[in-house]
Amino acid sequence: MAADFGRTELTVSESSRRVRSNVAQESAVSQDNIISYRNTILQNGTAPGGGIASHKDPMPLMRKLEILSDAAKYDVSCSSSGVERKGDGTGIGNTSKAGICHSFSADGRCISLLKILFTNECIFDCKYCINRRSNDVPRASFTPDEICELTIQFYRRNYIEGLFLSSGILGSPSDTMELIYEAVYKLRTVYRFQGYIHVKAIPGADPELVRRLGLLADRMSVNLELPTAEGLKTLAPNKHRKNILAPMRQIQQGITQNKNEIAVYRHAPSFVPAGQSTQMIIGATPESDYQIMMVAESLYQKFELKRVYYSAFVSVNEDKDLPALPGGPPLLREHRLYQADWLLRFYGFEAGELLSEAKPNFNVLLDPKADWALRHLEQFPVEINRADYRTILRVPGIGVKSAQRIIRARRSGNLNFEDLKKIGVTLKRALYFITCNGKMMYPTKVEEDYITRNLIGEKERLPFDRDGMTYRQLSLFDDDQEFLWKQAISS
Amino acid sequence: MEEYYLICEDSLEGIFTGIYDAYLKKKPHEQVHLCVGEEENYRLFAVYEECRPDETKAVKVARTIGRKLGTEAYMSICRALASPEADKAEAVYKTVVAGLSMQSSRGCGLHTVFAPARGQVMGNLKNPFVHRVFELARFTANEAHYHVEFLRFRELENGILYAPIGPKNNVITFIVPHFADRLPLENFVIHDTLREIYALHPAGGEWYLVSGGQESWNNGLTGDNATGDSLTDDRFNFSQEEKKYSELFTHFFHTIAIKERRNDQLQRNMLPLRYRKYMTEFQGK
Ligand code: SF4
Repeated sequence: MAADFGRTELTVSESSRRVRSNVAQESAVSQDNIISYRNTILQNGTAPGGGIASHKDPMPLMRKLEILSDAAKYDVSCSSSGVERKGDGTGIGNTSKAGICHSFSADGRCISLLKILFTNECIFDCKYCINRRSNDVPRASFTPDEICELTIQFYRRNYIEGLFLSSGILGSPSDTMELIYEAVYKLRTVYRFQGYIHVKAIPGADPELVRRLGLLADRMSVNLELPTAEGLKTLAPNKHRKNILAPMRQIQQGITQNKNEIAVYRHAPSFVPAGQSTQMIIGATPESDYQIMMVAESLYQKFELKRVYYSAFVSVNEDKDLPALPGGPPLLREHRLYQADWLLRFYGFEAGELLSEAKPNFNVLLDPKADWALRHLEQFPVEINRADYRTILRVPGIGVKSAQRIIRARRSGNLNFEDLKKIGVTLKRALYFITCNGKMMYPTKVEEDYITRNLIGEKERLPFDRDGMTYRQLSLFDDDQEFLWKQAISS
Repeated sequence: MEEYYLICEDSLEGIFTGIYDAYLKKKPHEQVHLCVGEEENYRLFAVYEECRPDETKAVKVARTIGRKLGTEAYMSICRALASPEADKAEAVYKTVVAGLSMQSSRGCGLHTVFAPARGQVMGNLKNPFVHRVFELARFTANEAHYHVEFLRFRELENGILYAPIGPKNNVITFIVPHFADRLPLENFVIHDTLREIYALHPAGGEWYLVSGGQESWNNGLTGDNATGDSLTDDRFNFSQEEKKYSELFTHFFHTIAIKERRNDQLQRNMLPLRYRKYMTEFQGK
């Protein structure tokens, strides 16, 4: 291969001008050290060490991929962020702290990882899940080799950032984790894959397996599934809150301990370096936004999670315990929760400031920050040239980046509204809440109703307006939602 | 009052040389301007001078920027200069002037205590030239990031990974290091089809750039079709596995979408249409 390339290169340099040479032209690495990722292809169904072929006839890889990605798609923790790691030159892959998206599917969600289940066989019967035991759906299982091949071949073409591997429960939680471990171990050692790996810890599995997997994975997650223990009891009768929190705690402690080890021995192997995340399903059970945010806040504080994901419930099964959602999945609600989640993580807000027992749900028409600001007009307007960073962060229309730029730019002199516009502040929203050099942008009433009307008139850019869902649909579905909660609570 | 216009070659070297020559003029900086390529509206009473790229001068300017304005400003300037916009040379020149003058006012006034001028010029967004550099640099950085995300390699028969791109800004040097670190054992080529620049990375070696017309590829990598407009062109000889994996990924791409959440507008916002012609999963049957 390298020889071919050398020839090509000659042809090129003969007839073209060298623009820049960054070069060590003689190949630095000797042939023996080079793993070839090219011809590692296995034929379908004939993979060595085939593991658990649950079907007698080998199923084509295409079909397996279809079944096992279709079954994995409801998991929303797709990110590849949290760890920066250069390649070491002996294999394939690196990772980027901010994460990298590689495509966007027709629902507008980011595709970053090869998101698949190891198997969609499952001994459990969670009511919201397409893979539950009682469903009659086609079943399939990958072999560890198939998973490695797909990951490597997708990765080298820049389709993906790495692997997200979850699974239905085959045999027992420990058996399942064992299979996941085998695949991930092979990928890391035989294929020397240094890209991103996210694996699920299966509740109830042997803690030793969780520990070993944590040394290979970048991120681990245990799904909370539903915000409260009661919700779990109704919809996931085989699962217990206790079993979910136990591995979460184990991973948290593993991460802390590992940080100390690395502080002492720089080359200690890292344990879940990108941190852990979780997800909960929104709208399948009757919890309020307030309850959900309180749960999220304590996950961030007590379990030091990197991310909590909220997944608008998509109805895939008929079940009397599940809400019917005539308006489709509660996307606006999910969106508001994500906005509030950002306020917790990056804007210094506490859940208790945003919602309360008396006001348990977010405003449909306003984002949580504007909603908060309108209820605290006594704290506004703030003077852009003097207010501290935390105060500026709380102004609607000013994001983290703009706030940082303001702090920086005002060192070279007082800022005016024109400057703020250049910096990227959304003045249409911010103007009610700020002054520059003591003056407001133009005379305006500082009055809740008046500003509310203006902010609502100022159409918010939702991630799903226009052909996603219209405002009308949104408000309709919200009524449905409320109706459902009331119904659920009263029954 | 005479105005001077220095016409520079459109390259890092050309524009840095221009900045050097502008300082040599020893005129007030408001009277000296840099432009690239052809100037369309010649002004009366203005003096136009060609400015021939000079490596020694360019290196001096690059060093000064790096040392006095800091790495962040230097990177912003390099990114801004990757832009196709005609006013970039002037914006960069005046930003350098602003940065160096901040430098000399060090030690007086309050803010130097908290924020030494060094490395702060890019924070001064009140200055229209700095703001322009900031903006141009951001366009380039964004586009470079899009390419890190959306660039697609296809495996040719001889095992080489080939990726055509068509960026508005000249982003290739900003993206290759990422792929070189990521795929150290692959032979790969990234081909800027608009500028006819190729980044070549031999397995286990260092990458480098070559430029050349289609003829340079006649017997080589891509056949004589170097426009990149059509990935499905028969003259590209892709490997057997290429077909298999591009189909698998395309299928995965469609399966992974949740149909109850379909949202074309959001998809378009996140993944601008102009990238799709290079992307495997959007090559229709
Ligand atoms: S454990 Fe529950 S949620 Fe997980 S695959 Fe099985 S049925 Fe689905």
